[in-house]
Amino acid sequence: MSSPLVLLPGDEVPSEYLPATNSAPLRLGPGLRLLTQPPSSSPSSSSPSHVLTATQAGILSTDNKRNAVSIFSSPNRRYIPTPNDLVIAQVHHSSQDYFHCMITPQTPHVVLGQLAFEGATKKTRPMLKQGDLVYARVLSVGLGAGAEIELTCVNPATGKAEPGGLGHLTGGMVFDISTGMAARLMRASSSSSDQQDGVAGLVVLDELGKKLEKAGGFEIAVGRNGKVWVDCSNGGDAAVKATVAIGRCLTTIDEHDLGPADQKKLVSRILREMKIDV
Amino acid sequence: MNKEAPLSITERDFILNALREDVRLDGREADQLRPLKVSFGEEYGHVKVQLGRTSLIVRISAEVTKPHDDRPFDGLFTIAMELTAMGSPAWDNGRQGDLETYVTNVLDRVVRHSNALDTESLCILKGVSCWSIRADVHVTDYDGNLIDAACIGIMAGLQHFRRQDAVVKDGQVIVYGLDERVPVALNITHKPLSVTFHTFDEGKRVIIDATRKEEQASEADVVIGINNAGDVCFVSKFSGSPVDAMVFVDKTSVALEKVKEINAIIDKALQADLSKRAKNGMAEQSRAENDR
Repeated sequence: MSSPLVLLPGDEVPSEYLPATNSAPLRLGPGLRLLTQPPSSSPSSSSPSHVLTATQAGILSTDNKRNAVSIFSSPNRRYIPTPNDLVIAQVHHSSQDYFHCMITPQTPHVVLGQLAFEGATKKTRPMLKQGDLVYARVLSVGLGAGAEIELTCVNPATGKAEPGGLGHLTGGMVFDISTGMAARLMRASSSSSDQQDGVAGLVVLDELGKKLEKAGGFEIAVGRNGKVWVDCSNGGDAAVKATVAIGRCLTTIDEHDLGPADQKKLVSRILREMKIDV
Repeated sequence: MNKEAPLSITERDFILNALREDVRLDGREADQLRPLKVSFGEEYGHVKVQLGRTSLIVRISAEVTKPHDDRPFDGLFTIAMELTAMGSPAWDNGRQGDLETYVTNVLDRVVRHSNALDTESLCILKGVSCWSIRADVHVTDYDGNLIDAACIGIMAGLQHFRRQDAVVKDGQVIVYGLDERVPVALNITHKPLSVTFHTFDEGKRVIIDATRKEEQASEADVVIGINNAGDVCFVSKFSGSPVDAMVFVDKTSVALEKVKEINAIIDKALQADLSKRAKNGMAEQSRAENDR
């Protein structure tokens, strides 16, 4: 791939930047939208009737292996829901059919169906209280003003919680990060690579994973809405300290935009400060 | 939507459990402040305070007005604080929330009622004219502990501010411009600061300088206003669950230590600013021992 391509909202994605393989359907990440062009006046022209345009400013990133293309946006704090995003939502109250949740403070609540959980039936639905956290996927964002955003914890096609881990998050702790950092973490944790610089310039998860292996390892769930849930419940006595250490590493890297070398240094320094044996 | 988003059960439980093990989310000790940065703007009395992620701007201004009829020898001093949507999305413009009322009240009591600024020195001509000093506090980012940050800002601003010189000649009040006469520093009698404590776990855990999440998870807060000499000028236990009396006694000494620490930071920032101004050829104006 040549130099990174910066797109502004409304810009078309040049076709040479799309993944080369055409067999599988192309996956669109957040910040991109498929627009259908009206059929061109000259019927003989073989120009494609679809165009991809950016809806957010950012760097275009193409993943040939997964046949995906997405926009790498700036690490801003504002989250705009897009379908298929994984988010960490907080239950605000429940009604007959829905849990009303918050994905970002000071925005209208989003709805999560009471039965939108793996294996949930009318008799065995999860009893979520106010203030509980759920890891969910954005099912749909309505169009226009007053439209409700719907979340789900299952894949509607299979009835399974896909990818694994969707549902009620118990224990652990949630840390606030920027949406850009959340996107990077998502990429870093979804595709494990042996690159020296890690995925999306993040080595912190690999580094923490290595160092905390003896302490029982940890679980992590990244929400695109700028939240990351960390749990070290296998850690025994050091569980709380390890959780805080991970949270501090992530938030500090986010705030200071540290490079791979600094990330490694930071991880060792924070683990030493928190007195966690590695 | 003008409410602070409630904390999730997970966060609340974790903060409490971590405190039971003496661990705070940002790795601080129970009585350790977040990094404090005090800086000054171009003009006198323009202070920026950055306490962790809480940041605010204080602007001190002065104007000549008529004193109150019942106190002809006293000048006026007001603290104006408005929590606007600039500081946090949870606040609305033009609507006074509980937090605003509370913080304004505490600031009033710690700084104004403790006579930190000698209002009698603001009198120009008995019953006719006096200085009115106004401190405007603008919150630009909110991550807990607004009271202490605002207090630091106001006290630093009062020490940094220089008002125009005014004289009375034949019953006429003459105010000289900043470039005509050396501006006058305000008369600060003592330097009180507030230190806010938050209690957890039925009052067994007490921390200072709580972040927004810690504030939300806490049971109660205790504010102690104290100056460098150890004179307690304000104690409040406004709401929340009961707090043991010993906490007040114990934490007063912690507060004293912290106030000394914070005042040292303010003094250092003031000195640095003064020497910077001296370099810019304004040495004569800013030196304290100048003839007035």
